[in-house]
Amino acid sequence: MTSSFPGATGPAAGADGHAGEDLLAGYAAGTIPPAVVWSVEAHLMECAGCRSAMSAQVDAGRLARNRSVLMVRAALGDGSRARRLLCRCGLPDHLLRLLGATPSLRRSWLLSVLGVLAVVAAEAMAVRYGWVRSGPPGRLAGYRDAEVLAPFLLVAPLLVLAGVAAAFLPMFDPAFRLAVAAPFSGFTLLLVRSVCALAAALVPVVAATFLLPGPRWLPLALLLPSLALCALALAAATVLDPRAAAVTAGVLWAVPVLLLLATARGPLPIVQAHAQFACLAVLCACAVVLLARRDRFEQGWTR
Amino acid sequence: MGVCEPAAGVGPGAEERDDAALLRAVARGDENSLAALYDRHAGWLTVRMTRRCALPDVVDHAVQDTFLALWREAGAYRGGGDVAAFIWGIGIRRLIDTIRRETGARRRLPWHAARPEVVVSAEDQVLAGIEHGRLGQALAGLSPELRGAIEATVLDGLTCAEAAVLLGVAEGTVKSRCHRARVALRAALTDQQAGPETPAHRREAWGTS
Amino acid sequence: MDEMTLNGRTAEVRVDGLSLRYGATHALDDVDLTLEQGITGLLGPNGAGKTTLLSILATVGEPDAGRVSVFGLDPRQTAERVEIRRRLGYLPQELGYHRHFTVAAFLDYVAILKEITDRRRRAEEVARVLAAAGLETRARTRIRALSGGMRQRLGIAQALLGRPDLLVLDEPTAGLDPEQRLRFRELLSGLPGHPVIMLSTHQADDIAAICPHVVVLLQGRVHFTGTPAELAATAAGRVWAADDRDDRAHLAWRGGDNRWRHVGDAPPAGAELVAPTVEDGYLLLSHAAGSR
Repeated sequence: MTSSFPGATGPAAGADGHAGEDLLAGYAAGTIPPAVVWSVEAHLMECAGCRSAMSAQVDAGRLARNRSVLMVRAALGDGSRARRLLCRCGLPDHLLRLLGATPSLRRSWLLSVLGVLAVVAAEAMAVRYGWVRSGPPGRLAGYRDAEVLAPFLLVAPLLVLAGVAAAFLPMFDPAFRLAVAAPFSGFTLLLVRSVCALAAALVPVVAATFLLPGPRWLPLALLLPSLALCALALAAATVLDPRAAAVTAGVLWAVPVLLLLATARGPLPIVQAHAQFACLAVLCACAVVLLARRDRFEQGWTR
Repeated sequence: MGVCEPAAGVGPGAEERDDAALLRAVARGDENSLAALYDRHAGWLTVRMTRRCALPDVVDHAVQDTFLALWREAGAYRGGGDVAAFIWGIGIRRLIDTIRRETGARRRLPWHAARPEVVVSAEDQVLAGIEHGRLGQALAGLSPELRGAIEATVLDGLTCAEAAVLLGVAEGTVKSRCHRARVALRAALTDQQAGPETPAHRREAWGTS
Repeated sequence: MDEMTLNGRTAEVRVDGLSLRYGATHALDDVDLTLEQGITGLLGPNGAGKTTLLSILATVGEPDAGRVSVFGLDPRQTAERVEIRRRLGYLPQELGYHRHFTVAAFLDYVAILKEITDRRRRAEEVARVLAAAGLETRARTRIRALSGGMRQRLGIAQALLGRPDLLVLDEPTAGLDPEQRLRFRELLSGLPGHPVIMLSTHQADDIAAICPHVVVLLQGRVHFTGTPAELAATAAGRVWAADDRDDRAHLAWRGGDNRWRHVGDAPPAGAELVAPTVEDGYLLLSHAAGSR
């Protein structure tokens, strides 16, 4: 249904009830009386022809500019549900976008972590829940609970370390030279990625420990060793080559666990009180070293 | 001689169907349809927003945000009222959000889906059949602040809180201005009224908005 | 007036006595350079030290000896190094991409690294460089689906983010077809703000077409600085064309006109002198350097 244009006289008003070009130009420029403005706006809601005529009243360059920005923002999207949630919690959007480049936060990586955990925990769970028939004396029968945890205790902190290593090692960041040559603080980038990788890896690890046999404090007991291990790797990266640093940290965990296993005393001591204090000390020392030498991450690692 | 001659062989409803089809395509994630919708609607949207807020940067941001909101929530269009009104319903609220953001106001209004039929019917109530000569004079007789308050609440269908952001005044000020405007218009229309033609329901339309 | 301003010109980027060694070999040996606004081409074969020099200019590598000054800033000081990086656009030689990223997402990522934190400004910058590189229709394409030439254009686009004052481009024309090279030339010459641009290539015709200044780097040493015309002129009187190949010449190859082109001191039998090109000058220089 069309509305007519009273109040606009002369050639501007069309006989068929549509708006003339003068009227539209007047509307765009703000030079027509208020009641006519209302009529024009009501008419625009109904007439596609007049709507397209309005496009001519706006600077074409301005329309094109807004269009290209719109298409870019539409192409970027809002990100995954996790990112939208974190954004609403107040985390700055640009930090969250940086995380998109972290391999250890991608679904494929997390699924692999879960897979490894499942394999390693399966043996322990099989014994605990009695899924394996106790047949002739073999590897599994006759073992006490503690030894059964050995593979898990060995692997779980290494998985966390691997996640953090993937966050800071140049070999995992295909565009790392760009990150080096960019003004964004290399240390901030590293911290943001490492902390998120740490959290993402710790969640499945701690969740898995609830399913395993062993002391009730086992889930918490793995926290400090994992944190200490990652801090050690990062601190060592300020001194050594980053790959060497990550490997060193991994070895420094694997060797004691394997030794304890070999001496047949069971791997649990490594997560008991003395070891926890040792891990705490290592964590604090490495944090200090890391902060003191953070400049190392601002320079290039390439020659 | 107007600019609205419809294309030959195309019925009056064809353009609308195209828009709705584009919107459905946008809901499915087709960015070319988003670009097509932009090409059709960004022009008048920019002008109409400029009539309410003279800052070109704010209008640019609001236009971008409007089409982004369309991109994200094209599925909210239920086919009631035409697409242009739907877009305007989103656009005016994006404009208010942008103004609020750029002037640092603290309160957060939740965005709710536009109800285009409200905007259209209010206008129809006011505009259809009334002698615009009288209304035009009465409106012109209002001061700009009163007219702005009426335009925001009646023409754009905003709540008093939203109109307050748009006009840059307190909510109470908007309410009192609307009241004074209605009083003034009623008085002006009553004075000018020559015959018994003005039906009672039209006056009620003013009184109840 | 310190030594950074000579004869009234302001040297924008200056390199003094730069040296870098990998074990026993000199990747760079006492390199002196002055770069001003406009495009400078770095010409040399693979292994000549071009990538090393460019990575040092981009503050990514560190030299063993020598000084670098970029717009008066010293990259050895942390704060000044960050300031250089704010004004830098860098395209490394083998730029890797996060393959799961889309084109727009990758550019957005680099824009954040360049400290553009406001989302809207980032989108404007990304839109601008997408248009400059001719990739607007590819904003949502995943990088793993791009051809080699398009990836190269993406690399150039990311270097343009943030309107840098210094552009360091390592082999930017690699993988581009002739039409794309032409567009690249237009792009570089049309950049606002007149940045200092240094690009490396091992193809002499790129130099002739794009760069008003050229530096020839051979075995880590600078063997020539000047205009392409001057480089061509160094081979004046030593380029010959003949119908048959003469092995006494330093270099001989069959040109597009089906004649043998010889570069050397002694004219082959039945040969005529021809006007030298930039490539001839370059070949003569590298032959001379190789025989040393």
